[in-house]
Amino acid sequence: MTGPASIRIEDGVLDALKYVSRRPIEPTLDNDLVADLGFDSLQVLELVAELEDRFEISIPLDNLPATRTVAQVVAEVVRLVGERTTG
Amino acid sequence: MAASRTLPEALAGAARTDAGYCFVSGDTDRWRSYADIRLASLRVARSLHEAGLRRGDLVALVLPDGEHFLVSLFGASLAGATPASLYPPPAIGELSRYVELTAAILRASGARAVVTTRVLAPSFDRARRGCPELSLVLCHDDLDATALEPDVWPALDDIAFVQFTSGSTSTPKGVALTHANLSANIDAFGGPSAVATSTDDIGVSWLPLNHDMGLVGMALGALYAGRPCVLLPPQAFVKRPAAWLRAITRHRATVSFAPDFAYDLCVRRVNDLDGLDLSSWRVAGCGAEPIHPPTLAAFSRKFAASGFRDTSFLPCYGLAEHVVAATVAPLGRRPRIEQISADELTARRVAVPHVGDGRSIPLASCGSALPGHQLRIAGEDGRPLPERHVGEILLAGPSVMRGYYKEPTLTAETIREGWLHTGDLGYLSQGELFVCGRAKDLIIVNGRKYHPQDLEWAVDGLDGVRRGRVVAFGAVRSGGADRVVIVVEPTGTVPPGVLTDAIRREIGDLFGLYVDDVALVRSGTVGRTTSGKVQRAATRTRYERGELEDETLKASARD
Repeated sequence: MTGPASIRIEDGVLDALKYVSRRPIEPTLDNDLVADLGFDSLQVLELVAELEDRFEISIPLDNLPATRTVAQVVAEVVRLVGERTTG
Repeated sequence: MAASRTLPEALAGAARTDAGYCFVSGDTDRWRSYADIRLASLRVARSLHEAGLRRGDLVALVLPDGEHFLVSLFGASLAGATPASLYPPPAIGELSRYVELTAAILRASGARAVVTTRVLAPSFDRARRGCPELSLVLCHDDLDATALEPDVWPALDDIAFVQFTSGSTSTPKGVALTHANLSANIDAFGGPSAVATSTDDIGVSWLPLNHDMGLVGMALGALYAGRPCVLLPPQAFVKRPAAWLRAITRHRATVSFAPDFAYDLCVRRVNDLDGLDLSSWRVAGCGAEPIHPPTLAAFSRKFAASGFRDTSFLPCYGLAEHVVAATVAPLGRRPRIEQISADELTARRVAVPHVGDGRSIPLASCGSALPGHQLRIAGEDGRPLPERHVGEILLAGPSVMRGYYKEPTLTAETIREGWLHTGDLGYLSQGELFVCGRAKDLIIVNGRKYHPQDLEWAVDGLDGVRRGRVVAFGAVRSGGADRVVIVVEPTGTVPPGVLTDAIRREIGDLFGLYVDDVALVRSGTVGRTTSGKVQRAATRTRYERGELEDETLKASARD
């Protein structure tokens, strides 16, 4: 998926990050969830729930350990939204 | 009160009842009777025996799934081995670093086997090179030999299991509990003077089973009494806190325990109260971390409309070294709160009710010692202090652990003349315990305790950090989780910004924890002559007074 749909997803993910964070943040795609944005494992799960609600997807927790950056989160959501609309 | 019994005896007793565990996954409930659980455990026991494990061998369990964990724990116990629980990998973070950390515990404790998942097994297999005594890496689903009744039963004074609370240092802290310890604590805690459970009670828990409140407080407590318990995966709760309250509603549950942060999470994140009915919830236990009275008040306010009663709250105090619970507030009473003058508390170490101006702290009573157990508040000279004087909480009685596994020196420092030195600070008021601080260097975030030496160990190995010049501590903040602070002397070879990121990443990977502040300080700030404990206290004091700040600023200015 490219174009407007993936940009909407990117905006949605950035907004979800700000919503879940307990301190003011201005996330960018290359930010690391832990080192840059200060997410602990609790907040990562909170983010997962928030993204599932916003995009009506189900995010498998097995993929989380490999997910480090905002760009990876966006890519995962793009993929799952794609599966939902085509599947 | 029931007679003392070992874990295999309690399991056999429970298997004769109709009760069992209910494992929740999503919105699906799956009941397994204790008889079924026992049968599965006997298969594990037989498999472990056939694999060559013998009486007293340490079997480490690294199993995130609740059912797999319990069946493997019971199986190892039935086989006469000593099961040990370890933290499963954090939700985020590099698996390789987690395995490295866990392998250090396996090595130091001399574990003979690790039982884990198919995903983790290859990593542990590779880690065996560094662990000479670790001869077996087993997948839980391969442990399916034909069930046979055990021919040897453990004695009450044998170790029932070891709970590792610490990670990476050369001396991992494994709390070793005997069957007698377990039985005494479970019976006193469930007895008429504490939670007063009956076979009509239904427990619900999402607590991790590698943690004392989840394993003993909820899962084993139910098993020993032959009453049902509903278990949710911890991640299901953290992801959607409403899942906990929905399970209580669905099962008409009466008993459920959680740390303060869980009640706070419900206040903040449960938005849809439709269909929630918490009127069956007789005992809403709160423990495992400092209790913030405003959290309890906010929870009562929010969920009163769903039938929750604030008289259900049961503040408790306890620690793994005392099995789980040490004190418990009276049943059916609204939490007893004291508003204490903060200045008097820090300056004179006396808890004086707050009047007029100045800062004050609300504290909740954690009640009095369990029947058959003793509690004392001691001054620095070890002598008991009068009421309202703040001192270290000491505990004695049948729940005091056997010791730290294979750590006689550490054990002798912690248990002196029969008294367990908890490292927590508190005072007594009308005979009830109020917990108000920590003498030990523990960092507590979301109900989990982190040892600063583990964090220091992790950071000490990084590029750009002067060896041995790392101090980690938790800056205690009233009304919230500790702030995690790491003070480091940099070598100057790595740019400060890069070093700060690397430190956060490392701690995030290993512990799933965020470092609130990384302070890079001039060399010589963190001396290495004295003990870690002295060093930490001195550095924390200077940090809290703002004396370290200049060095940090200089470091970032060079960035």
